[in-house]
Amino acid sequence: MGLIPNFKNIATRSPWIYRINAGSCNGCDVEMATTALIPRYDIERLGCQYCGSPKHADIVLISGPLTVRVKDAVLRMYEEIPDPKVTVAVGVCPISGGIFRESYAVLAPIDQYIPIDVNVPGCPPRPQAIIAGVAKAIAIWRERL
Amino acid sequence: MNFLTIFARNLKQGPQTEAFPLGPAFTPDRLRGRIEFKAESCEGCRICERVCPANAIRFAKTPDGMTFDCWHNTCVFCGNCEFYCPTDAIHQTNDWDLSHVNADKFDMVEHGLIPNQTCVDCGATALNTAPMVKNAKPPLSTEEVAEVRARCPKCRAKYLKNRKVPA
Ligand code: SF4
Ligand code: SF4
Ligand code: SF4
Repeated sequence: MGLIPNFKNIATRSPWIYRINAGSCNGCDVEMATTALIPRYDIERLGCQYCGSPKHADIVLISGPLTVRVKDAVLRMYEEIPDPKVTVAVGVCPISGGIFRESYAVLAPIDQYIPIDVNVPGCPPRPQAIIAGVAKAIAIWRERL
Repeated sequence: MNFLTIFARNLKQGPQTEAFPLGPAFTPDRLRGRIEFKAESCEGCRICERVCPANAIRFAKTPDGMTFDCWHNTCVFCGNCEFYCPTDAIHQTNDWDLSHVNADKFDMVEHGLIPNQTCVDCGATALNTAPMVKNAKPPLSTEEVAEVRARCPKCRAKYLKNRKVPA
């Protein structure tokens, strides 16, 4: 009985992050990698860690305007992430299409296909902005757990 | 020995990691961030709308005047609008923290209104835009600018033409 809330407390300290590139220009991906990997920004202080498989993820960062070509793959990958998950749209591309808006090749805004929880506008957003977005996502994720 | 020097330096300098989000973030003054619009100094030339590569800026005619909207969720922070704006009515702040929950998505907009006015000369309804008098010689005084501003475009041209230039 007492064990279950304990597990919950431990688990809420360390959400794992997964990154989906939905046709981004790579700008946002570089910033996300910077956020996670270099000691200057060090997102692991928030307990977050990047993981390589969607099946291990708690928070998913999506970049890119969802091009027609990657749509099926992105949706399939999104389905594989276990609930409860929190989705963060990184960059203006997934939020509105940004610079690619109204192109025949993109399906943005991405929240038509995937429920988005937090938006981080910017092209690309600076690492601090991504950290702020992830912090918001962690707050939402703790409520959902 | 090299290891010891590095160790001593690290002890002295502390970690390289930025304090954010546990403390304030380092923000350069000229960081390209959120767009800000000052309706009072806008000339209504709509150059910013035309040069915006992401179509983030929209002007629209309404019964009250001309509205300005800049959608932060479409803007790519390129700075084109500020560069081409003749009056600095539009400018980029260094505010970068725009993250928001998806419910607030459509509130992320900079809104402004250039109101309609009645021309003091002919009584026509025209926009109360800032006058384009940058190149007037000699430069207009503050009162003259206010007088020009109170007129419609046609009467503005007349006013400037008939303006007595002190010898
Ligand atoms: S928001 Fe800008 S930097 Fe990010 S993927 Fe889109 S175009 Fe590239
Ligand atoms: S903000 Fe500047 S560029 Fe845009 S319409 Fe006004 S004066 Fe012209
Ligand atoms: S900064 Fe660039 S994208 Fe943003 S409103 Fe100005 S011109 Fe448009």
